[in-house]
Amino acid sequence: MKKPKSNLKVRYLVNRSWCYPLALIAGISLFNTPQAIANPLANKAKVNVVRMDQTVTGSVKDEKGEALVGVTVTMKNSNGIGTSTDMNGEFSLNIPENLVTNATLVFSYIGYAPVEAKVAGKTRFDMALTATVNQLEQVVIVGYSAKKVKYLSSSVATISSAKLRDVTSNELPNLLQGKAPGVVVSTSSGDPTSAGKILIRGAGTISAGTSPLIVVDGNIGGNYNPVDVESITVLKDVAATGLYGSRAANGVIIVNTKMGKAGKTEISFNNTIGFSQATTGKFKLMNSQQLFDFQKDFYPRNPSVLSTDTDWWNEAFRTGFVNSHNVSASGGNEKTTFYISGNYYKEQGTQIENDKTGYNFRTNLQSRLTKKLTAKVLFNGTFNKDNYANSNTLYDAYNNLPFDPAYNADGSPIDARSYKGWLGRDRENFLHSVQYNYSKAQSLTINTDVNLDYDLTDKITLSSYNRVNFGNGQSAWYNDRRTKQGGANGGELNNGTTYSNRLLTSNRIRYTEDFGRHGLTLLGVAEAETSRSSFTTADGKGLPAGHDVMSVATDVRLNPTGANEQVGFRKFLGQADYNYDNKYFLVGSFVNEFSSLFGKNNSSGNFFQLGASWILSNENFLKNNNTITFAKLRASHGTVGNADGISNFASLGLYSISSDASYSGLPGAFPSQKGNPNLTWEKIKSSNIGFDLSFFNRIDLVVDAYVKEASELLYRKPLAATTGYSYVWQNAGSIRNKGIEFSLTSTNFKTKDFEWETNLNMGFNRNKVLELSGGATVFNSGARQPIAVGHNMDEFNMPIWAGVNPDNGQPQWERVITAADGNITKELTSTYSQAQTATSRQFTGKTAAPKFTGGLSNTLTYKGITLSAFFNFVVGNYVYNESRVYFDNDGLYESYNQMVPAKGWTRWEKPGDIATHPKAIVGGNKDSNQSSTRYLENASYIRLRNVRLSYSLPDNMLGKTGFSKIAVFVSGDNLWTGTKFSGPDPEASLSQIDLSSGLSSIRYPISKKYLFGINFSF
Amino acid sequence: MRKYSVHKLLLMGVLTLGSLSCEKYYDPTTSINEEVALNNAEDVGTATIGTYAVLLNAAYVRSVHFLMEYPSDEVAQGQSSGDDLTRAYRYTHINTSGHCTNFWGQAYKVIAAANKIIAYVPNESSAAMRQLKGENLYLRAMMHFNLVRVFGRPYTQGNGDSPGVPLLRDGFSEDQINAITRSSVKEVYDLVISDLTQAHELMSENKSNSFASKEVAQALLSRVYLYKGDNENAIKYADLVIKSGRYKLVQGAEYSGYFKTAPASNPETIFAIRHTKVQDRAFSAIGSMYFSSDASGTAQGQGVSGWAEIYASQKYFDFVGKNANDLRNNFITPYVVGGVVQHNTKLNPSTPMYYVNKYSMQEGVINLSSPVYLRLAEMYLIRAEANAKLGKTAAALEDVNLLRQRAGLSGDKLYTNANLGSKTALDVVMEERWLELAFEGHRSYDLFRNNLPMERNYPGTHSLNNTPTTNLSQKVLPTDPRVIFFIPQAEIDRNSKLTQNP
Repeated sequence: MKKPKSNLKVRYLVNRSWCYPLALIAGISLFNTPQAIANPLANKAKVNVVRMDQTVTGSVKDEKGEALVGVTVTMKNSNGIGTSTDMNGEFSLNIPENLVTNATLVFSYIGYAPVEAKVAGKTRFDMALTATVNQLEQVVIVGYSAKKVKYLSSSVATISSAKLRDVTSNELPNLLQGKAPGVVVSTSSGDPTSAGKILIRGAGTISAGTSPLIVVDGNIGGNYNPVDVESITVLKDVAATGLYGSRAANGVIIVNTKMGKAGKTEISFNNTIGFSQATTGKFKLMNSQQLFDFQKDFYPRNPSVLSTDTDWWNEAFRTGFVNSHNVSASGGNEKTTFYISGNYYKEQGTQIENDKTGYNFRTNLQSRLTKKLTAKVLFNGTFNKDNYANSNTLYDAYNNLPFDPAYNADGSPIDARSYKGWLGRDRENFLHSVQYNYSKAQSLTINTDVNLDYDLTDKITLSSYNRVNFGNGQSAWYNDRRTKQGGANGGELNNGTTYSNRLLTSNRIRYTEDFGRHGLTLLGVAEAETSRSSFTTADGKGLPAGHDVMSVATDVRLNPTGANEQVGFRKFLGQADYNYDNKYFLVGSFVNEFSSLFGKNNSSGNFFQLGASWILSNENFLKNNNTITFAKLRASHGTVGNADGISNFASLGLYSISSDASYSGLPGAFPSQKGNPNLTWEKIKSSNIGFDLSFFNRIDLVVDAYVKEASELLYRKPLAATTGYSYVWQNAGSIRNKGIEFSLTSTNFKTKDFEWETNLNMGFNRNKVLELSGGATVFNSGARQPIAVGHNMDEFNMPIWAGVNPDNGQPQWERVITAADGNITKELTSTYSQAQTATSRQFTGKTAAPKFTGGLSNTLTYKGITLSAFFNFVVGNYVYNESRVYFDNDGLYESYNQMVPAKGWTRWEKPGDIATHPKAIVGGNKDSNQSSTRYLENASYIRLRNVRLSYSLPDNMLGKTGFSKIAVFVSGDNLWTGTKFSGPDPEASLSQIDLSSGLSSIRYPISKKYLFGINFSF
Repeated sequence: MRKYSVHKLLLMGVLTLGSLSCEKYYDPTTSINEEVALNNAEDVGTATIGTYAVLLNAAYVRSVHFLMEYPSDEVAQGQSSGDDLTRAYRYTHINTSGHCTNFWGQAYKVIAAANKIIAYVPNESSAAMRQLKGENLYLRAMMHFNLVRVFGRPYTQGNGDSPGVPLLRDGFSEDQINAITRSSVKEVYDLVISDLTQAHELMSENKSNSFASKEVAQALLSRVYLYKGDNENAIKYADLVIKSGRYKLVQGAEYSGYFKTAPASNPETIFAIRHTKVQDRAFSAIGSMYFSSDASGTAQGQGVSGWAEIYASQKYFDFVGKNANDLRNNFITPYVVGGVVQHNTKLNPSTPMYYVNKYSMQEGVINLSSPVYLRLAEMYLIRAEANAKLGKTAAALEDVNLLRQRAGLSGDKLYTNANLGSKTALDVVMEERWLELAFEGHRSYDLFRNNLPMERNYPGTHSLNNTPTTNLSQKVLPTDPRVIFFIPQAEIDRNSKLTQNP
């Protein structure tokens, strides 16, 4: 009587499971289905009453015999059935009668190796779990699924919360630097209000964005604070990134925030305080005597100037304080868990008046509403207050003359405008202005996710992930009428407000089936997203001194501005994931995505991805091999798209109707953008092959090689002025990145009390422009970094600096002359315009893209003491040190300070001198500071990014305190840097911004930080 | 039953998604699609305002001023600067000049915007449409004329035979535009003249001097003919403007405050690029280079309201100062502290800080200015110069004297055939031109087109070209290659058919 019924159910489910993804993917109306679903479920409810289930009980402990709370206990191959251990590590589970035969229990717990046990009539299971030493057992979220690392066909890198947060910052990029192979972070400023940039496997685009896609808790985009991060997974190859479709061309960074665990509520406090100082490397500005001596031959000054020696750099920079306080509570019961966290972060910049304050609040709730329905409600609110660095301060720190005094006799800052005999060029003492002026912003971001997972059957899961994101910002800058900046207009005030929202819904259906040794998972996803943003600004002038609200302004300074814009995306995705006997894995997927960004002729794109892997160590010939304990081969191939970084209406031919188009107070319209209705997705074809090896269960080696070929590149092509436009957005040409990267983790030494672990990761990337549209050999010719076929897209092309003419001390460049017979000769010229021509500019073979990058970390643990040191390095890249235009320019600006010549620099003084620097002449020596290889410098560096010593009180000492954990640490960031670069800091943006990269200009150097922290939990 | 409602919820979610019109396009809010930008008479009016707005851009207004004015001998740069404007002053041009790139780019954008309207409006249309078409033709001619002056040799050197600039006509195909070449100076003048001729015939509305109208086109035509050496036509069109009665020479205090007046209220201005109060460019304004003051306009040190590093040259200051009661002295505000003229001491010898106020204090806003492109006084001077060249001395002197009287000069300060002495009529016309139109972008063109050298012998950064730098003299011959600027290298890079100037 009973058996046929359950068979019937299985058959029905198999049928239905196929129609669902299809219906979903095709977007077909499902009006008829509710009843079809309701009926069998009603039947099932009746079945439950009559069947005879079996109850099993047991406990789960760790290696030391301590009860583990919240261990998941599930029935193998039956998604819907499971429980977790209680506060005492005990569990009880009902096994439906029809599943008792051959039932297998699976015990899993994060950080521990899962264990399986056959029921086989037993009713009591006392299990012990062992902590995983092998990262291969780690479960990571890839695409829309969670998988163990060892079963992946993709190249991923996972960084745990502990590894991530050695460095102290409120910004993710700053934390990621050097932590994963192929992931390059460049911080272009020490300003705490600006984050670094992340580049994964090289830049493959010209004008589109190079930032990876951030996916927070399963949905594209989103807000989070680093303190709440459980783990970061970096997806690099197309088999993994492809699922995020067309916006994953630059890789994907998956952020998962912490969830509570069932069991005792744990309350933790984490506190970090410390201070920071600007790194200056070997860079030094001249003092009065040095500048006087330098200028005496070409711009002699009255020696009385030597009575003042102001160190403007010291006036502009300070010791900044950093503090971060976090309290979190987590816990829950078998049904509902929670994680609540509040965070306060304040970092003072090393430049005066610059700081960032952040408040973050997060609540993550997860509840099993019914046996089949799980809901996650995630809430994150962030409030940030930024006091921006004053750009005059930075500029003047470099350029103000040491001969000019900073303070009056009474200690107040001098107003350089009225100070008689001020010698500096800009008559600016920033110390006077910053008393009154400011530029600041505050923003509130609210992010709410409601994620539902419904186990329709034990094989089919329906999910609906939904996110609402609101952002609100206010900004203001104020120039007081008493200052130079606000003087002319009797005070100036600018107020701005921004508002944005983003709505996203991602609806998924997953079907899992095992046929003997075959395992199959099918996934269908339909996703839609719209973003809206708006802003307004107002500019007033004529404000009473010290009053900074718009109502006191007596006149408008500029027209008010404002706009609102909207963008939409829509995506359909299907994926099939197959494995045989946990040895062979195949994954294939297809994505169709639409974006309103593109031209009406070409707004949707199709992308496919394939991946395969083979775990050799599960084959008989390697099984139980003591040397090679794990071996896997992986390969993937596919396409993804890029739509990032282009303007919202890039494809349209436009007339501007903004106030810029008005004249004489009348509204107007002028042609502002050339249209391209064919504009479409940038497509990246990518292949990856890699292997994972473990030796002696102690050494893990992961190696990947890849080729990424981008075609139909989005390019904001500059146009000749005679077209009437500045640019047009085009799909143009193709660029290839290929590279190798590896990560080697070794437990060098391990005893009961002492452990030493080393990780080395490196990524090598080569970039080449393969083809440009219309048969062009070069785009953006004349730029420092044109896009040229056969060259690295970041390669510098410029007049070649040929040093100093020994006869007269004039600067020289190479001039290339093509004779009538085609013979090319080079001669030296001291006329810049002869070197700055299409024929004389030359490719330098030097690029802003590093040859390789990486990180090296060592961790030593002795009982509760941990010492770790982490270096990151960037090698083979060049940076154009543009600041030298101002302070290394052979006399051009006699009223700017100059840098102390770096080691090996010499100045021409008399005929016959072989020197690196031309004769100094007031007003400049023949354009010697114009763009050329003169200021192009090797910016390779190695940096001790972090060193940290921490101590955790052992359990026996904690016993009486009531605390479950007390840990203290001291930590230092960026304490040492090795480089030949002549500026204060070799880091520069390695991703192209406005068609240029590797540019260092009036740099706000990054900070050295010294920190102390105490963390305790109870 | 509760379970079913959960299903329904999920399914509703799926349905909502399926029925959502996800593939939706959005429209920008600060721009309009070009398909709807130029479809009717009203659009032509809006787009014509847009053409003026392109002209108003600092890339044109500011850069063209530096390129045209700073090569003259009426200004002195008191301290060296990394800004490209120094190269215009010192004649140390480079082919990547920022101001040349700005000016070239913005001027062609004005032409391209005008071309769309010129192509759209037929010659046979309503008076209002013909007026608007005429305004765009005027702006196209003004741009081509300024371009050919900055990048092409004076017409009078070889009768316009040398390379000029690309002629951008309406109706060009994309291929034609992409491979455009430099037309000769003569060809550019021919198009400029034909555009202006057509423009003044099409226009019939007496618009304010912020806009083009019949007389504006005639006034520019007069100047173009003068530059071309066609004196009869120069006189003809100057006459038409003078006799139109639309303009009058402002007198006395009104004249002294000429550049502080909003252009629409100034009856002498024929055409000015109107800047309203919300278009104050502050430290980036033209006036900021010349002038620094407090809110009342009293001169202050550098950096108070402007950079104040370009001054009236000692040469010009002395020349206009010969007649203390010449009202044109009022356009210079020496920076005086305790009765002593201050000097910029960055050079040796130091440079006296004679602030120029022709670009400051419009409507009481320190750095606000609506640069005047054409005014009635120039029409008299054009007529005088052409008459002098034609040997009509009396007519020439009459016009010169009219301006001298307006400047407050009388008696023996007025010219007669008898008191000319060794000077020719042309000499006094050229002197008067200099006195009257100083700092308005005429001087170096007036010298070079008349085959005269530009001579400096006063403190200024041009002396840094010399060894020793205390040698103040500089003499630029009209045949010097640097009398004109290099074609922007960036444009050559984008269109290899453009040839470079030697």
